[in-house]
Amino acid sequence: MDALANELKIRIIETLKLQDITPAQIDDEAPLFGAGLGLDSIDALELVVMLEKYYGIVIKDIEEGRPAFASISSLAAFIRARKSSP
Amino acid sequence: MSARSPVITGIGMITALGCGVDEVWSAMHAGVSGLGPLTLFPSPRYGQFPVGEIRHDLIKLGAPLRGSRSDRLSWLAAREALGMAELGDFNRDRAGVVLGCSVGGSFDSERFLENLIKHGKMRARPTRFHECASATNLIADSFELFGPCTTVATACSSSALAIATAAELIVAGESDVMLAGGGDSLSRMTWGGFHSLLLVDAAGCRPFDAQRAGMSLGEGAAILVMEDEQSAQKRGATVLARLGGWGTSCDAYHSTAPHPEGAGAAAAMRAALLCAGLKPAAINYVNTHGTGTRDNDMAEAKALKAVFGAHVPPFSSTKRFFGHALGASGAIEAAVCVEALRRQELPPNLGFTTPDSAIGLQPLTTFEPAPLHHVMSNSFGFGGNNAALIFSQPETSPVAVSRVRVPIAITGVGLVKTSQSTDAKISWPLPADTVRAYACSESFSENEITVKQRRRLSRLGQMVLVAAKRSKPLETDRLSVAIGTGWGTLCEAAMFIENMIAKDEREPMPSHFINSVHNSLAAQVAIEMGAHGLNFAPTERDISFESALWQGVQQLVTNEADCVLVGAADELNKYLLSIGRRWGLWKNATPAEGATVISLARDGNTRAPLAHVRGVRFGRYRRPFDAEREAAWIAEAIDLTQMEVVLSGANGWKPLDAMYESVVEALSTRAGRSLTHQTYKQECGEYYSASAFGFARAVELVSGGCRGVLLYTLSPSGAKAVSGVLP
Repeated sequence: MDALANELKIRIIETLKLQDITPAQIDDEAPLFGAGLGLDSIDALELVVMLEKYYGIVIKDIEEGRPAFASISSLAAFIRARKSSP
Repeated sequence: MSARSPVITGIGMITALGCGVDEVWSAMHAGVSGLGPLTLFPSPRYGQFPVGEIRHDLIKLGAPLRGSRSDRLSWLAAREALGMAELGDFNRDRAGVVLGCSVGGSFDSERFLENLIKHGKMRARPTRFHECASATNLIADSFELFGPCTTVATACSSSALAIATAAELIVAGESDVMLAGGGDSLSRMTWGGFHSLLLVDAAGCRPFDAQRAGMSLGEGAAILVMEDEQSAQKRGATVLARLGGWGTSCDAYHSTAPHPEGAGAAAAMRAALLCAGLKPAAINYVNTHGTGTRDNDMAEAKALKAVFGAHVPPFSSTKRFFGHALGASGAIEAAVCVEALRRQELPPNLGFTTPDSAIGLQPLTTFEPAPLHHVMSNSFGFGGNNAALIFSQPETSPVAVSRVRVPIAITGVGLVKTSQSTDAKISWPLPADTVRAYACSESFSENEITVKQRRRLSRLGQMVLVAAKRSKPLETDRLSVAIGTGWGTLCEAAMFIENMIAKDEREPMPSHFINSVHNSLAAQVAIEMGAHGLNFAPTERDISFESALWQGVQQLVTNEADCVLVGAADELNKYLLSIGRRWGLWKNATPAEGATVISLARDGNTRAPLAHVRGVRFGRYRRPFDAEREAAWIAEAIDLTQMEVVLSGANGWKPLDAMYESVVEALSTRAGRSLTHQTYKQECGEYYSASAFGFARAVELVSGGCRGVLLYTLSPSGAKAVSGVLP
């Protein structure tokens, strides 16, 4: 099990106040936006803040974040890539 | 009586390009942008982004010391506009003020918070002017105007809606002269807020350009002197332009983003054309909202094509000149339109260089002389709140607004109220304390608030949405919403600014910013109910509800809607509890909160009505208080023979209670029999929106057999309002 992916699920639930959802219910590959978790553009902005708060990653253009926010696994990969090449 | 029609006889403006219409216009001609570095407050994180800051010393220009930065901007614009209009000796009881404002005294309140959080110092004075209504009251007091005065807070369309509201007050015969427009200063709130939405262009805004990457913030104010055409003619005034038409709509789509096809924007433009009795081809120029964000400019271009087809008139966004002054931008651009008509020349879209093939339209890039008869100004705000104004040459002929004389029925009442008082705790960064207050502790079921709404809406937004659902509106496509608030969503606004200051602009909270705008309450109701009509958010202290009620009745009388939700709501937070007590805001009464929404429809359009509403009116009283004069003012609007009870906002504070008592006596004398004086604040506590609860109580009394209730509200600020509830 990917520890970062699991941590992300917990933080997304906390950040977005997804009270009715548990980490186990979020599939690593399922889309976060539209279908899947059903998040929207305001949630995306909240995730931008979450990335800054916990991972020190600053996103200046929402288009830059769009591919990363596709799923939990893409977000984990994005964080790892940013961490290794600051 | 021949039809009344609004004309413009004075304008005043202050922007980053200068103070005064001539100074601003010359700078525009020189191709100067007002964008530059931010110096008003430190911005550790976003300091490199250009902004439209006003460099003038406002006090040296003559602005009053008592007031927020926003108040001073509006006051300076009002002084210039009044100077141009040369009103001479006029009837001050028939002259009022409607301002649009989004930020209000936030900039000044932030100084208080910064002192408190960073230095542990409690200096509350700057928060005295926090409310958006502060500028309206300052101008009304300063220039001695006693007609209808209110404030509109619908984010970036605020002052365009204020101008439309002033026009309606003139057409309805409530006043002959109106100061209309708005002002907003820069603030940490909006600065951090728009950055949190990633909507600010680091290169400065470039509206309609292919490379555009967002907006630039600005500040400023503009005020129009509007008059009824006949009274302007009678006094021999120079008429600058005519407000030919105005149209409003709501996307009811998203809390911040525009409808992707610009459906609401197009609806507002079409409504304005209909109001003006014009075909699209008659419009010679459009001053677009054109913020420079990818979404706005694309949606607005689509809306222009939908309304004007293949013949989109010359257009430009003037936002790179001034920055986006939010609540003031509609009025600033209205002043630009009036000036364009006067000078017969079109202003360019500064910042545009590269055409965007996806937009497929190109704005004006240089000043161009042109014969102008009718020009349009667009303003769109958060919550999909759209307004379009049409300004015309004075020689053009106006179109009468038709009004139907049908009783207005009250079809439903929705309440979210408090049950008992509790000790509210005050904590960091304020000194620890407890205050006895009526707080709403009702927990809503999932039938009333969905899981998504619970996590997304503000606390006050949830209260309003539940009250709106409980008011059971008619099922109709023609639904308008008018929800007033005195303080707005204090909890979210405070959390956002606290966080900005404590963390030096790191981790700004986008959802708190979105929820902090006053019209988020009405916008959420519109989204939930699919209400595409007017979306109105007045904020005028103790008469916030009556301002909404007046507008709601107008919507039905002018047949703009088949059903209207009117209401008001306010909440408490630790700052209000702590500072409000120092100011004596509640006098002897208990601080409280609550939300009330009333559903209205025209008679004949509804199932069994609960009651009817008649004679809604608002204005300002004179000091010293004259009960005879007030009774006469009430009797002009309401048939006293039908009234049994006067329901007042008396709250146990002797000076105010004595004013109410004296008016009830004067009304009894006029009626030739004794009217019963009843009160409601002993039940609901004291808050700005309490008169909405009072209105619900009036409906209850009438449903229970009372022959007629006169709801009367006096605000310590000087505002007054009256409405009649009948079987």
